[in-house]
Amino acid sequence: MKTVEKIVNPVPRAGEQSPSKIYDPRLKVRARREWRGVKDTFYDYTRWLYLVSVLVRFIAVPRNVKGFFRYRWMMSYLFVMHGMDKFTIGLRDEALRITHTSFNYVIADVTEAISKCFRGDRRVGNDKEFSDRCVITDENSMVTFMMGFDRFKNPTILREVPTMFASNIFHQFNVMHYLDIAQEYGIPGDVCPMPEAEAGISIDDDFCVLGACAVQNNTTCDGSLMGNGIIAKRLERQYGIPTFQLATPLRHKEEDVLEYAAQEIKNAIAFVEKHTGAKWDWDLYFASAKRVNESTRCRIAQLEINSTPYPQFFGAAFSLYNDTNYMGNSGRNEDFIKIDHKLLELAEKGYREKRMYAKEYRHRCIIWGVQPQYTIDMLYWLLQCWGIVPLADMLSIINTDMIAEEDTPENREQAYRDMAMLNMEMIMRNHTHGGYKVLLDDLWELCEKMNADMVMMWEHMSCKALTGMHGMFEEQARERGIRLMWVSHDLCDPRVFTRSAIRDQVSAYMRTVLREEPLDPSLEHIPDDEAY
Amino acid sequence: MRDLKHLQFFEDLLQVANNPLISQAKEEGKVCVAYTCENVPEPLVNLPGCFSVRLHAPNTGTMDIATYYMTNLLCEPSRALLERAIEGGFNFSDCVITPDGCTMMNRAVENMELLKTMGKGNPKFFHEYMEIAFKNTENDVNLAVLQCTNHILKPLAEKYGIDTSDTAIRKAVEEHNKICRVIRAIGEYRKEENPRITGYEFQVLCLASYVCPKHLIIERLEETLKELKTRNPDKKNPWRARVLLVGSEMDDSGYVKLVEEQGAYVCCDRFCFGSYPGREEILLDGGEDALTQVCRHYVQNCQCPRMMNQEKVYHRKQYVADLAKEYGADGIIYEQVKFCDPWAYERMLGSSMLANDFGYPVLSVDRPYNISSSVGQMRTRVQAFVESIEIKKIQGGGKA
Repeated sequence: MKTVEKIVNPVPRAGEQSPSKIYDPRLKVRARREWRGVKDTFYDYTRWLYLVSVLVRFIAVPRNVKGFFRYRWMMSYLFVMHGMDKFTIGLRDEALRITHTSFNYVIADVTEAISKCFRGDRRVGNDKEFSDRCVITDENSMVTFMMGFDRFKNPTILREVPTMFASNIFHQFNVMHYLDIAQEYGIPGDVCPMPEAEAGISIDDDFCVLGACAVQNNTTCDGSLMGNGIIAKRLERQYGIPTFQLATPLRHKEEDVLEYAAQEIKNAIAFVEKHTGAKWDWDLYFASAKRVNESTRCRIAQLEINSTPYPQFFGAAFSLYNDTNYMGNSGRNEDFIKIDHKLLELAEKGYREKRMYAKEYRHRCIIWGVQPQYTIDMLYWLLQCWGIVPLADMLSIINTDMIAEEDTPENREQAYRDMAMLNMEMIMRNHTHGGYKVLLDDLWELCEKMNADMVMMWEHMSCKALTGMHGMFEEQARERGIRLMWVSHDLCDPRVFTRSAIRDQVSAYMRTVLREEPLDPSLEHIPDDEAY
Repeated sequence: MRDLKHLQFFEDLLQVANNPLISQAKEEGKVCVAYTCENVPEPLVNLPGCFSVRLHAPNTGTMDIATYYMTNLLCEPSRALLERAIEGGFNFSDCVITPDGCTMMNRAVENMELLKTMGKGNPKFFHEYMEIAFKNTENDVNLAVLQCTNHILKPLAEKYGIDTSDTAIRKAVEEHNKICRVIRAIGEYRKEENPRITGYEFQVLCLASYVCPKHLIIERLEETLKELKTRNPDKKNPWRARVLLVGSEMDDSGYVKLVEEQGAYVCCDRFCFGSYPGREEILLDGGEDALTQVCRHYVQNCQCPRMMNQEKVYHRKQYVADLAKEYGADGIIYEQVKFCDPWAYERMLGSSMLANDFGYPVLSVDRPYNISSSVGQMRTRVQAFVESIEIKKIQGGGKA
């Protein structure tokens, strides 16, 4: 078996030694906040205040209050603060600051998306002039086709992000209602619950209704492609919102699909121009392209740091930030570049000072597959409880190629191919589709590059693209001497696998297969199954 | 009714994947092209010098090894094919062509490739994976042309020296159309009020046309068509209702038999391995090259739920409604192999729209790959459906 050097943290942890004390089985939220020592607790508190200010500003707008009472999923946002704490368990120093810097921005971005939704929503703000400039698109969609449109004049609204994706992170039970609706309507329970829940929201007529037009995408799987049909039916037939299906080839590593994908991007742009009256602006596009490249460079540098013995980026905050930046932003917002640089600066400082975030680093682990929405704090737990260092997760391993950023006649044609490439290689589908090599071979290459001795496979049981290679993962891991740990879940339905059931799979593997004892035994069983 | 002369012959062919006609065609020196999806244009894998076999795994029992590789969460057809491949049941294949149509089937074939289940002793053996069209636009036609060129024609020409010229494609289309004409002509008899062919018999003939070398069955199919012209149905119509069977991958004629045993005549079929749309003639003209025309035919006529534009989404339901009207169906059975994602959604939307927008009674069911593993449940569902149609007829209702 491959082995890595164990590293013991020479510096005692500031503040309380175990975060296990903040959990209380009688409560749906944490009993209290974590004591991280004076400096870090103060920092954490200022960030807490910042988030409160974001939420207060949001709720101070009357139409947002109206929206709050209209939409069932808005209840999740009562638990934003509790949700934020899930991302900072046990963190100190730079890792704490990296998490707050990245995820606070994600929260602000989601809040802005909800505000826009309510402003244009026919049932709430009903600002028709605003709505007629907006383009709505899917939750898991790249917005490259909007890179050449002014983001203020023509906002792109990823309508499903606040409605389903983010709300499920803050409130684990929130999606169950919509899954039940979809299943009552006849969709079987064995499909991926994410597109199923989105279809359920549409069936329940619980999406905001706005937009000059909508662009849908066959994002990650057969389920997402098919769920779009149900959503489009309501959009087009009931609300008269023209909907374009942006077809994105699956075999994205094959050159012979690129022209097709580029033409689809052209068609999507033409569709947006037709329905919003806006014109594609190449200056805006190439400015966005520069920012996409800059973010890519930062991301590569971040991964480099994580390949060292002192990684600095941990957990879901990193992948969710990438998700927001890479897909939801696609270079259109210059603020992300500032955040990228700040994150890199913090990580470099942490690396220089050899910061560690657990008592001991025992295993270097690649996280592969799709994380459950409702156990978003799992990777922090992995680090604190078992000393397993999550170095990189599949959702963060995205494009590393640079795209054309100078405005020349040749590059204008190349730009469509670049947008198509980014679109095809959007998060998750860049590994779950495109042939087994991007799923299997890429993983082993990453293990080599990051010096990992372990892989934690999230086995999202409804993700057929991943489970379809179950046996091959096992065989190939065995050949390479990599420890492979399967952890099953059902993405956003906690009824199938509770949080405890998910963590217990890790503990069982560590005890019975690796014969190890936890670093922090008090964390092994956390009473948070009923918590939001 | 008197038994069809060749029915037993065709039924026997369907009992194993490696049927005797495949060996016979290979002995003739032909190349066997195995494929797994209706989105592979059949004439292109039936060029002079080769013949196609759509992979199926009849009489599947346990799928333990495939379940290890793919878990029990993937659809049974994909696991059954992998299991059969591991058992050596597809060793007759000289190549496998797989569109990335649905994830599970694609994964099944990828597992076959990684496990090297086929091609032992054949250095020319190859696997090819294709992107397929998503919409019915000219951009998609162009994609289909490029994909068929790169992943079907080029490898066949380079590895096996198959003639892939325009003339060869036209000849293959001609042969393909001959089969389509016969199957459709046989199927026409299902429109009769007291039909002279059962849905099961038709399904056996149609299925054989997918899994056997076509040139070795065409004569018997033509003979069967001739036989049907003079075949007399039983005087008393035995059927209690007429149903249109719609759904996903279906290579189990036993399912049709089960439905008919409950008194529901399967008057039309709209599923993979069925005659709609798979046995639609391809009409070529002299203007455009044959490859483009074949690809256009498949892109335009495809009824696969993978086609994602709304025009296609609604057209699929209209297509079913039109067939139901044409074949005089009293009701529609929407079936789906369990764990099939595309048809999970298509079945839901289809059964809802056909019932609410078109007014047909609809039975919406999921089923196992091999119906013999779950006869009782399905029988009960179909019986109840037949009874509900009868009650509607008695009450003067039925189709709105």
